[in-house]
Amino acid sequence: MALRIETDMTTARQHPLVEILKTRIAIIDGAMGTTIRTYGMTEADIRGERFKDSKKDLLNNGDLFSLTQPKMIGDIHRRFLEAGADILETNTFGATTIAQSEFFVDDPREHGGRKDPAFYQKVIEDPFLKKLAWEINETSARQCREWADKVGKETGRPRFVAGAIGPLTVSLSNSPDANDPGFRSVTFDQVKTAYAEQARALIAGGVDFLLVETIFDSLNAKAALVAIREVFDEDGVELPVMISAAVGRGGETLISAQTTEAFWNAVEHVKPLSVGLNCSLGPDLMYPFLEELSGKANVAISCYPNAGLPNPLSPTGFNFGPEDMAKYLSDFAKAGLINIAGGCCGNTPEHIAAIAKALEGLPPRALNAAEPVEVSR
Amino acid sequence: MRPLRLSGSQPFRQQQGVFIMIGERTNVAGSPKFARLIKDGKYEEAVSVARQQVENGANVLDICMDEGMIDGVAAMTRFLQLLASEPEVAKVPFMVDSSNWAVLEAGLKCLQGKGIVNSISLKEGEKAFCERAATVLKYGAAAVVMAFDEKGQAADFEDKIRVCERAYRILVDKVGFPAEDIIFDPNILTVATGMEEHNNYAVDFIRATKWIKENLPDAKVSGGVSNISFSFRGNNRVREAMHAAFLYHAIHAGLDMGIVNAGMLEVYEEIEPKLKELVEDVLLNRRADATERLVEFGETLKGESAVVAEKKEEEWRHGSVEDRLTHALVKGIDNFIELDTEEARAKLGRPLAVIEGPLMAGMSVVGDLFGAGKMFLPQVVKSARVMKKAVAYLTPFMEAEKAALAAAGHEVKAQGKIVLATVKGDVHDIGKNIVGVVLACNNYEVIDMGVMVPAEKILERAKEVKADIIGLSGLITPSLEEMVHVAREMERQQFKLPLLIGGATTSRAHTAVKIAPHYSEPVVHIVDASRAVPVTTSLLSDENRAEFVAQHRAEYDAVRKMHAAPQVKTISLAEARKRRTPIEWKAEDVAKPEFTGVRVLDDFPLATLREFIDWTPFFHTWELKGVYPRILDDERQGAQARQIFNEANALLDRIVSEKLLRARAVYGLFPAQAVGDDIELFGDAARTESLGTLHFLRQQANREGSEPCRSLADFVAPREIGLGDYVGAFAVTAGTGLKELADSFRAKHDDYNAIMAEALADRLAEAFAECLHKRVRDEWGYGRAENLSPDELIHEKYRGIRPAPGYPACPDHTEKGTIWRLLDVEASTGIKLTESFAMWPGSSVSGLYFAHPESRYFTLGKIDREQVADYAERKGMSVAEVERWLAPNLNYDSGR
Repeated sequence: MALRIETDMTTARQHPLVEILKTRIAIIDGAMGTTIRTYGMTEADIRGERFKDSKKDLLNNGDLFSLTQPKMIGDIHRRFLEAGADILETNTFGATTIAQSEFFVDDPREHGGRKDPAFYQKVIEDPFLKKLAWEINETSARQCREWADKVGKETGRPRFVAGAIGPLTVSLSNSPDANDPGFRSVTFDQVKTAYAEQARALIAGGVDFLLVETIFDSLNAKAALVAIREVFDEDGVELPVMISAAVGRGGETLISAQTTEAFWNAVEHVKPLSVGLNCSLGPDLMYPFLEELSGKANVAISCYPNAGLPNPLSPTGFNFGPEDMAKYLSDFAKAGLINIAGGCCGNTPEHIAAIAKALEGLPPRALNAAEPVEVSR
Repeated sequence: MRPLRLSGSQPFRQQQGVFIMIGERTNVAGSPKFARLIKDGKYEEAVSVARQQVENGANVLDICMDEGMIDGVAAMTRFLQLLASEPEVAKVPFMVDSSNWAVLEAGLKCLQGKGIVNSISLKEGEKAFCERAATVLKYGAAAVVMAFDEKGQAADFEDKIRVCERAYRILVDKVGFPAEDIIFDPNILTVATGMEEHNNYAVDFIRATKWIKENLPDAKVSGGVSNISFSFRGNNRVREAMHAAFLYHAIHAGLDMGIVNAGMLEVYEEIEPKLKELVEDVLLNRRADATERLVEFGETLKGESAVVAEKKEEEWRHGSVEDRLTHALVKGIDNFIELDTEEARAKLGRPLAVIEGPLMAGMSVVGDLFGAGKMFLPQVVKSARVMKKAVAYLTPFMEAEKAALAAAGHEVKAQGKIVLATVKGDVHDIGKNIVGVVLACNNYEVIDMGVMVPAEKILERAKEVKADIIGLSGLITPSLEEMVHVAREMERQQFKLPLLIGGATTSRAHTAVKIAPHYSEPVVHIVDASRAVPVTTSLLSDENRAEFVAQHRAEYDAVRKMHAAPQVKTISLAEARKRRTPIEWKAEDVAKPEFTGVRVLDDFPLATLREFIDWTPFFHTWELKGVYPRILDDERQGAQARQIFNEANALLDRIVSEKLLRARAVYGLFPAQAVGDDIELFGDAARTESLGTLHFLRQQANREGSEPCRSLADFVAPREIGLGDYVGAFAVTAGTGLKELADSFRAKHDDYNAIMAEALADRLAEAFAECLHKRVRDEWGYGRAENLSPDELIHEKYRGIRPAPGYPACPDHTEKGTIWRLLDVEASTGIKLTESFAMWPGSSVSGLYFAHPESRYFTLGKIDREQVADYAERKGMSVAEVERWLAPNLNYDSGR
């Protein structure tokens, strides 16, 4: 039993990024998925030799590209760094046994079965999936580390790697069964196990932070945060943790419907390096929730929204171009709301370059800008 | 003081001077009714107990399953998971209450918000206490800390403050537990028991509360209030007065919260003065005979019926039946739904009129609120469940109506069936599952096919179950194309069902512009789960369908007009040509072939071709997915694969030995030079005697990064370089004799071997192309050193490419015409071109050879008007003709 909970705050405070955050707004990179699509990769490209006989289509399992097309992934990392990103995200959004099972395990629903905890127990114990998930995480972390260090050295500006931990394709808060709202297809412990393995592999690959992101379901995120705490305690390591939720038009986490302040109350104990919003809403709809979070959370605030709402008729699949994103994010900066800025789906290196340029010289939000929580008795 | 901050789906923040009420009715120990419901497995009713507590003003719900006959871990988990689906309840924080640590931990695993653990203590020593506190912190909850240590429960003031102070120091200094999340419970113990040593318990508690608040910064104090009056059970009048008076004094001393029956609290000022005095005498231990006096007075009150109403008649019950139904749907309240539904049925005459009238109107309000961000998904699901109850109530009436109709000889419609699927290539289905739940709740039969479902499977299933509607879902952008594909297939197969489109990247505009035009029946975009039911109901309604469809078509026509000529971002042709494949032309990369001109191979040995067969596609033909040779050992398909493989080889043996098929080829190598995006071919090394020109197209989409805009013309040395390059062309067939062979099988009703022969001829043609390419590389000089195995050949690990007209790099099929003229293909091999430039017999392959090491396959993608005009000019074709051949590549609406 480790009684070391105080130390995480110190770790977060001592991290060089914290010093940077006091002086300027740090830039986090853009979308991996939508940028990959601009390379015109095919099913054969993602399979490579290694997955050539895989039964299901893999093209949308973008994390695999880190294994089969490292050159392209490296090119994207490099372009984001050259666009001005201080923080690279690993290409590991779905690199857990549970998320990978969608691509590699026969779906019991096709044979009249259902996905339930017994199914997911097999998934989290599957040696192939475990090995694959580990490898994606560790490999992607190393690739990011290399690029971050290389470009950091060349430019004399340190770059950091955030190990991306995504939301999974299952929900701990939601029942897929119409007749039983109490049913869950997966258990908290199963989700925790999958996340713990991911966190461990990311750490082994050399990331600077762990970033639990695109949180649709706060209970899934909690399982990830508990897993991270346990990994830290068991392995005697400690990295800063970053947290980012994906909220809908009412500022609620999309699946579990938790509002922004409620969400902060639920994760504050982690003492994260930053908390923020990403994905889902475009920046134009995000302001009120970002403002609420900035007013409540006395840690750095991050914001990397989608490039507007999905618009299948636009070339990137999203509404906003680089200049639009730059404008919205500089509005946030001028309002003193953000410490870390970047983009999610639909944001290419050009978007990030425009954002980085627009935010240059704008002051960061004071790290303790939240309203005081004292009440008199 | 730092306030206590908690959360359910909504934040909770302690307000200055406001007592926090923790609902106690969902505690099996405190509520026999709740205990019975849990034991009988009546969880739905148990959930309504929780909802009543919230409606009565509880800020936090205490949930306890500690009872001998109840499996605490299972019951706690199930109940909390049910509450998570109950939006009105899930908004408040939960207090997980148990003396069993396993139950507490199980509860923590169900809380998305910040709840409270009730409780931990020093009872089992400091080590266990620290571990549990650290675990509570890990899950992000606050903790009730009982004033209990290794020696037992702290009863008097000194013990209470000693234990609490010790616990506080351990939590704050050793565990790092936030002080504001420590909630002490210094034990509210029963007074007026007749035992003298119990008389000061209330005073001790109140004093301890005051001391804690003054000495342990930020710590909170709570207590189980009803304990205080336990000796008066059965006499609610006295108990309520005791609770009210005790709380009054304890709150004054600093009590932050208490576990109370939120519906059963008297107001201190309203306690009858006589009773108040007697009660306070007991609580404050003001006189020795206080207990006797209160007992005596209490007897006189027993007869009076003084139960405070647990529930007030809600105001909304006074509205019209339509308003009540809407209210019930929006709030997700099902208590009165049957009553109200019956009233509406009586009023409107027909059960269907209730569904299509007030119930649908109510669901539309739900949809509007959700769209405006004022309702969240779980609430929508909850509304759908109320809807389900109403529909369930109406079902017998509808059945009766149907029976009457059938008896009268009318046609009767069955319950609507909806096939739902996430399309091929996409794994996201949480949203689709929710739509499925909502539809199922509205009495539709939902057939959910899961994720990554290919079009053919969806359509097959829809036919099989005689579906009324198909719903497609997808989250990622490539799914949009797959949806278009499904729509096309539905058109081709002459489906008559409406098609629903949903998922995060879909939109009304995309559906109207890209999907709907491919299918004659209604294709409707469903913006969110709440809209699925109104749309489905309208589409399946005899009365409303026509109007809905007309309105829908008009709306989508308008959208299409607004989005005329959608485009990918392209760059100008001139810019694209500047970004051609960057090749540094060097003499050593330009190989000189040992011959130029045309060569013919007739009756090529089939035994040789057999070595070059790539068997994997052969298995695909037979719907066996896997890679040869591993597929032969596949657990599931291995036996089947081995069988057809053996049979194929048996037939192949016959084909080879009896020469049942004839393999023929023609190929040529020609001096060539690139001029712009064309390649000129010559009959002589001086490149003066023109044999014709190959025309190519160039990628024009604005690709990011360093990716060039490629054209096949880039892989041949440009005229101005003067390096003297070459290009090849070929056509092969293994189909001569195939028709006769297949027909001979069919004449014997042996369709299996007929198909087998066709499949083998295809494989032999591909093998011939591979084999010939190898030969050409050798004759071109650069191939002699490559020394590759057949397997490596199959994976094309060699220098150079052989792209075919009609394939992604040069999608224009008409270029085959140039190859046919150049090689006189038909005369040499018998392969004909049809009017649409398809090759006959089918088992044929043709293409071009490029030898430069940098040459590679690519996909042309979208091109603009400028390039089409340029290409038409080069080819001497009309623009309209080019547009017809290149329709899928046009990045504009050509007006057809």
